[in-house]
Order: sequence, then C-alpha cells, then structure tokens
Amino acid sequence: MTLEGFRPSSYLTSETARLQETIGDSKAIAAVSGGVDSTVAALVAKRALGDRLFPIFVDTGFLRIGEPESVKARLGESSLGLRVKLVKAGGRFLEATRGEAMAEEKRKKFRETFYQVLGEEARKDGCDFVVQGTIAPDWIETQGGIKTQHNVLEQVGIDSLSAYGFRVVEPISELYKDQVRVLGRHLDVPKDLSERQPFPGPGLLVRCVGTVSKKKLDLLKFSTKIVEEKLGPFNYDQYFAGVIENRFTEEPVYEGLDETAAGALGLPASETRVDVFEDRVTGVKGDTRSYGRLAGIKIKDDSRETYGWLPEKLRLAQSSIVEKLAEVTRVAVLIKEKRTGPPLSVIVRAVSTRDFMTAAVAQVPWKILKDIADSILRLRSSSRVYYDITPKPPATIEFE
Amino acid sequence: MTTIPVVYVKGQYNHLIARRLQELGVDSHLTPPSTPLEKFEVMGADALVMGGGPQSVRSLDTLTGELRDASNLMTKIRLPMLCICVTHQLMATTFGGATNLAKRPEFGPVEVSVSDEDTILAGLKPSFTAWESHNDEIVSAPPGFKVLASSDNCSVQAMRHEKMNLFGVQFHPEVYHTSKGADVFKNFLKIVDDYKRA
Repeated sequence: MTLEGFRPSSYLTSETARLQETIGDSKAIAAVSGGVDSTVAALVAKRALGDRLFPIFVDTGFLRIGEPESVKARLGESSLGLRVKLVKAGGRFLEATRGEAMAEEKRKKFRETFYQVLGEEARKDGCDFVVQGTIAPDWIETQGGIKTQHNVLEQVGIDSLSAYGFRVVEPISELYKDQVRVLGRHLDVPKDLSERQPFPGPGLLVRCVGTVSKKKLDLLKFSTKIVEEKLGPFNYDQYFAGVIENRFTEEPVYEGLDETAAGALGLPASETRVDVFEDRVTGVKGDTRSYGRLAGIKIKDDSRETYGWLPEKLRLAQSSIVEKLAEVTRVAVLIKEKRTGPPLSVIVRAVSTRDFMTAAVAQVPWKILKDIADSILRLRSSSRVYYDITPKPPATIEFE
Repeated sequence: MTTIPVVYVKGQYNHLIARRLQELGVDSHLTPPSTPLEKFEVMGADALVMGGGPQSVRSLDTLTGELRDASNLMTKIRLPMLCICVTHQLMATTFGGATNLAKRPEFGPVEVSVSDEDTILAGLKPSFTAWESHNDEIVSAPPGFKVLASSDNCSVQAMRHEKMNLFGVQFHPEVYHTSKGADVFKNFLKIVDDYKRA
C-alpha cells in the first residue's frame, strides 16, 4: 500500500540526515515498546547511528501477559537487529500511581517515572539523547489538552535536559499511524509488527479506570488476553478490555436516562435500565477534553434475546444520551451480568479507525460478544461485562 | 502548484487538514492566525483553510487569543477561504450572524442534507454522513451568506457568501470517517483554480 503524498524513501533520507546532524558523535537510547511507532523510530535512528543506539524496553508492570519477554525476543531477531535491554520497574510504577483515581494525574505520574527510569539508563550508558516514537496524534492531543500522552515533553514546554538529563529526538513526530506503517514496511518490518494494533504507552494503567489495585489489574490482564484471542481473527483496528468498579452515582441529573434510552431503542421504559458509573472516563466533545461519566445500558434479558445486537438503535441511544447530558462521555451496553461476584465490570471495546483521530464502533457479532462475556465471567473476578458503543468523538479510543 | 496554508487555531484536526490538502497535491502547512498579511503573500498563498478548535465564539467582544486573531484575519485577507467547525461559527459571529449554544450538540456521525450543491458541496446531494464535534452552532447566518446544508440538530451545516469566495462547514471534511470529505476539498480546489485564473 502506498499513501498519496507520502514517500517513505525520501522521508527516510531526510530524517536520517537530520538525526546525524542533531546527535553528531554522541550516543542515544531508543525507548522501545514493541509497538510499530517506537520500532520504526528506533530503526530510523539505527540507520543514522548504528552501534551508538541502545534500545531499552521499560517493563512498567502495566503490560500484557508475557509481553516484555516476547517483545525483547522479537525485536532481537536478525531481520530487525534491535538488541534490547529489559529494565524491570513494575514496582516503581505501581508505587507512583498508588491511590490516584484521576486519569490525568495517573498519566502524569506515569510519565514522570518513565523518564526518571530512562534518565538513569541514559546516565549508565553515557547517552545524551533519547529517541522515541512520538507521532502526530500524541502531541496534538497533549497540546490540545485532550489527554497527556506519556511521550510528549517539549511540545508542552518540559525541558527534558534539565529535568531528566537527556535531549529527546522524535524521528516520526509529524506522521500519522498509517504513514508510520508504510514507513515500517519500507524498512522491512515484518507485517505482524507493522500492522500490530496500538497499545498505549501507559498500557493497562489507562484501561484500569480509577484507582489501580492488584485485583483490578489481574482481572484486566486475563480479560485482555480473552478479548485479544476472540477478536483477533476479525481484524478490527483496535480491540481491548477495560475494568471499572461497580459504584454508581445517584446524582439527580442522571434521572430520566432510562426513558431516554428506552425511547431511542423503541422499548418500554420497564425493559431498560441505565446505570451511571461513579469513576470518570475520558472523552472529547467539541474539540475539548471531557472527563465525564460512563452510562451502562441494560436491556432486559428476554428483550435482548428478541432483538439481538440492535446496532442502529443502540447508536441512537448512545447519541441521545451524550447529546442530552454534557457530563456523559461514553455509553456501553451490558452483554451479560452475574448476580454474585466481585463488584467489578469489564468493558470490551473494538473500533475501526485509520489514523486514530476518529473511530467508529465495530459491529462485533452478538454471539461473539456473549462468548467473550461468558469467558470473562468464568474467571469469577467480575460480575458484569459491557460493550462500549461510543465513537470518537465523543469518547476517546482508550478509557482514560 | 497551489499553496493553501491552514490557519492553526489549536484544534485536534487542524494538522489533518494540511495532510488532506497535501494528498491532493497542494503545498500546505500550519500557520498561526497572527501571521501578518505580507507573509501570506511571501508564501504565495492562493487560498486559506481555517480549522476547528476548542473555543467558544458567541460574541466578538469576548474573543481571545487565536480566535481574535482569526477573526481579524478573516476581515482583512482577500483570498478564497474555507472555514471549518469553530471558524465556520466565527465567520457568522464576525460578519454579523449569530452563534450560540446548540440545543442539541453533535458528536460523531451525523447525516447532512444538502440543499445547494453548486459550490463546495457539488456532487454531494441529497445527503452524506459527516463527522461532527460541536457544542455551539450558528443560529443565524450572516447577511450576504446562503445556507447550503443542514442536519436534524443543526440548521447551518454549510454556507457560502453570495459574491465572495467565503465558505464555511460545521462538519469535519478532514477526518477519515467523513467519507466524502475529500470531495469538499476537491470542490474548494476547483474554486481556487478558477480564482487563480481570473
């Protein structure tokens, strides 16, 4: 695939020259995660620096099961030749984010710890520079105050040299994901890596809505595995799980949402129920960050069996609720619940998107969603499983 | 080559506009609304596109920062101009129309009905799905402007000046999910070409 107006070879030539000029004879760390952005950024830098580039993978503890080891092995294969040093820092990240419920604070504490760790590694290896895979949506969203991406410093006025002891270099910061993938293919990055679905830098931290606990994080790791296995064959652009506590707000402003949802769905109000979660989730309404509520629609089981997925009606219910209340940024529909079980909900999300600036809800077959819910509930670590039915905007792709 | 700077008013999609224009073979980069008129001449600008942003533009007196600069720029520059989302609303506020809080805001996919397909909406009749993200909307188009399209929630989805090459759209033609969005830019480029020849 080629994209109009984007020529990977000339991009590579000019970027390699720019890196050589910036970095000179110094050494640089490349922060890699196994994702396409950091892999491509590291490969571009390797062309410019050769052996003066030191790829480092920071294990933040917010990664998927088996991820650090598999990434290290994969990037080290001869076709890529990135000899990665694994730095285990899970305990530090958990400590830094402990007790923090606000999404932006969690992201900022993550960023602080992340760069402290990189700063220490840079000093050990005598590196003056850190190469990272920041891309256009990262700095656009951070600068616009939508959310703090962990890999954006200079665009928001943080001087990395005085704060952490190194200078940041971003070889692909003007590109979007689809352009990065084209560049990756040009650099012979294997297809499973160049097409890999994105995984946020702060990882499972931003899919663990509200405060992080070991219980939530473990449920999230196993649910993520289930969702990735079951949805993998469908080739959606992105699909994952989130976890939120079953605490619901009683604020009067949310009364009447049962009727709003029922009206849009064409069902009697007695057939539906809307629960509004206490913990907040991130959205973007009118180009502004909106840190609001998640509304969960329940359609009574017998109606649900009759009506199945109802994608068009659910879309209408979703838009009616977010248009009616500025406070609501996301709507999810209950797939299945258990009367007993820990008070946690898993939210499944799957979207189609090209550049991650806008996203449409994937129409996953209802049978598959039920199958996922059954598998997750069998873990006995949660009592509800929802499917997120909110496009971007008004929601962001990730929960926080 | 056609040169169309994108006036950056801090919207998330502003950078995407430049990308779309580059894909159509246009020389396009972001430039702040405080850019002096002479500088547009130096860069050889043939037209301008102004993007969206997070601000509210309900009154000229309360405009600040980029949007105040953008409003000034609109009144001074004599080039074809396409204004998107908040700068579409700013065009109404600047030229004597009115912008206010929308009765029902729009986020995500919206069906836009075309009433006049002569110019930037050529080929898009009777309707198309566009992506939106706005809390405010134009409640009355300014004098001299004609409404080109509307949606269930919003009466001025697109407008143009009757005589000058000034166009505004509430929706986002630059995002991937507005599948006919490229047509809006192609139509605008045609208008710019005619303007260059004239």
